[in-house]
Amino acid sequence: MPRPRLPPPALFLSLAAFLVLVFYMVPLILTLWASLTPVRNWDIAQLRQFVGAENYRRLFHLIRFDPDVSTVVKTTIVFVAGTLTVNVLGGLLLALAAFIIEERASLGFRLLWFLPRMTPVAVFGLLWYYFFYPQGTLNAILLKLHLISHPVNWGQDVLPWGPWSIIIFVNGLVGVSYGMIIFYSAFKAIPKDIYRAALVDGARLRDLVFRIMLPLTRWHLIFVTVWQLLSLLTTYAHLFVLVEWGVVEKWHGMTWALYVFETAFGSAVNDQALASAAATLLVVVGIGLGLLTLRLMGFERELGAIRGEL
Amino acid sequence: MVEVELRGVWKRFGDFVAVKNVNLRFPDGKFSSILGPSGSGKTTLLYLIAGIYKPSRGEILFDGEDVSRLPPNKRNVGLVFQNYALYPHMTVFENIAFPLTIKGLPRGEIEERVHSVARMLHIDELLDRYPHQLSGGQQQRVALARALVKEPAVLLLDEPLSNLDALVRLEIRGELKRLQRRLGITTIYVTHDQSEALAMADLIAVIHRGEIQQVGSPEDVYRRPRNLFVAGFIGMPPANLVKAAVTRTPTPCVVIAGGGEYCPGEPLASKLEALGLEAVVAAFRPEDVVLGEHPMEDYVSMEAEVYVVETLGRENLVTLRLPDGQAVKAITSPLLNPRPGDKMYVNVEPSKILLYDPDTELNIEAIEAAPAARPVSLAGSPERRRAAQEED
Ligand SMILES: Nc1ncnc2c1ncn2[C@@H]1O[C@H](COP(=O)(O)OP(=O)(O)OP(=O)(O)O)[C@@H](O)[C@H]1O
Ligand SMILES: [Mg+2]
Repeated sequence: MPRPRLPPPALFLSLAAFLVLVFYMVPLILTLWASLTPVRNWDIAQLRQFVGAENYRRLFHLIRFDPDVSTVVKTTIVFVAGTLTVNVLGGLLLALAAFIIEERASLGFRLLWFLPRMTPVAVFGLLWYYFFYPQGTLNAILLKLHLISHPVNWGQDVLPWGPWSIIIFVNGLVGVSYGMIIFYSAFKAIPKDIYRAALVDGARLRDLVFRIMLPLTRWHLIFVTVWQLLSLLTTYAHLFVLVEWGVVEKWHGMTWALYVFETAFGSAVNDQALASAAATLLVVVGIGLGLLTLRLMGFERELGAIRGEL
Repeated sequence: MVEVELRGVWKRFGDFVAVKNVNLRFPDGKFSSILGPSGSGKTTLLYLIAGIYKPSRGEILFDGEDVSRLPPNKRNVGLVFQNYALYPHMTVFENIAFPLTIKGLPRGEIEERVHSVARMLHIDELLDRYPHQLSGGQQQRVALARALVKEPAVLLLDEPLSNLDALVRLEIRGELKRLQRRLGITTIYVTHDQSEALAMADLIAVIHRGEIQQVGSPEDVYRRPRNLFVAGFIGMPPANLVKAAVTRTPTPCVVIAGGGEYCPGEPLASKLEALGLEAVVAAFRPEDVVLGEHPMEDYVSMEAEVYVVETLGRENLVTLRLPDGQAVKAITSPLLNPRPGDKMYVNVEPSKILLYDPDTELNIEAIEAAPAARPVSLAGSPERRRAAQEED
């Protein structure tokens, strides 16, 4: 008797479930587990001990009383809010510009904005190292223009907004192409006759943007915002390079995700238990903020409207 | 209200010529129709008038004023799109109000004007709905309301009835015509459906491959097709086009297979002579055919064999074959019900027969004088089409 074949839908579902389990749930559970143990210096044996909420207590104590850790919290908030704004609004503006300029020129224009994303992190970091360090391009320009009288170490000495501006600027450049490409294709997906109808109805560019294009791409706006929010909470590659090379001051260039990384793998400390607690906190905050954004932007209302049609 | 005129208008998309040297005048306050098959350039022509496309060459005038370079929002035209193009995120009210909202009119005036146009089109019950909650016919009315609410100088309609079922179409057709009469707006109605054009328009412009083939009243276009394309396009079914030889005895006579002979009187006879044609295409309408067992006195009669009989309810459509194999269609009373294979006579009154030059495809009556002076404005002939293409 041949065995009955597994029907394809079940096959796909079980495959997806497997992937989610291996690459998402298992690390999450391991992190949660590790945060309840005293594991340090990769001493795996300690994973069997159990210290309850001790690491969380330590973590909140650090946030309250360690000025460096509380700076990390502030940096994270400023970085995420600032870069998110740059990425979403910048992405929108670039998409609009790409949509309005001529078709052929538009492709080159869009590719240009992809360069920061495609450039290896180290190369991109080096570029901005040469731009921002005291003897770098930025100071040279400012000196030429007589805006400053002697070189300024923007990332180290101008606290807190020097390093904050730099990390927002660099990550904004990296992330802006994401929103741009999604908004651009969303604008392209609106039927041409809708634009034409609006023009015939007397619409100016401003009316097209605010009354037709933006309302019709709400979904994309919600999606890009939430997606970028979550990626910004967890990103640290560019920040790592900027901090490591001293472009920015350590604690004002370090977001929570980088703090987790440093705590777990950094040269000074190797406190995986504390890092796990910090990572778990990040996941919880991330989920909370994501849901809040969805609610604020009316995602549920939209979903409800669609359900009503089914 | 304005008169719309196109002077030598061309439109190219890359190498493709979509509209070719169009000269047209749409009279003030009249209902004109642009009629042509799919892909003939109707929508392109309408978009040129609306300002959505800029002409590659030529100019467009509203009341004698050149508007060719004006963008659509400066032309005060109302346009009903082929697919309606309603704004999906706006209610019916907001859709209709859109042109007024953009102008920044006061709320009260907007409400009043939207409600009045909605009442006129019987959609005042639907104002709170979204476009996706409407039927095709209702969407069409909303699109029309949006075009009318700004009281445009020109109303442009792009096959607005093509998505509707036959019954609704007939109903809206009547309403639209009455509405246009009442408002007196210069209206240009694009359609591929000749019965719509014949029923509604004061003036019809037939377009084919981007070129205007004939401009005239429905009567003109129907009774005196300017060239073979128009003859073969207009009518339900269109005119029979039969190849025929010309004999000279010594006056010229047209000889059709199956014994049909037609010796035209003046001035047609001398035109035929002047052109020196050996062959012509004879055209006559299926409804002008009298089918009988015998040839009829004073008619041109051809013997033919019945091939198919289609019952259309009010009438029968009989397809016959002439002895040389050419097909001829005849509309007959439903009482006459011949069987395939029967021999019958196709009788046509001589005055109902039109003759066309097979080379230029032009109606011989319409050709002015000697062959050298053939008119250049209407190009239906293969050579001329080729010549025009080479010129591009
Ligand atoms: N933007 C464009 N780019 C290239 N070719 C085009 C463009 N718009 C139209 N055409 C071509 O021009 C010709 C005329 O198109 P148009 O839409 O005017 O036809 P139409 O008469 O409205 O046809 P239909 O009855 O199917 O709507 C077609 O062959 C079409 O492929
Ligand atoms: Mg069309």
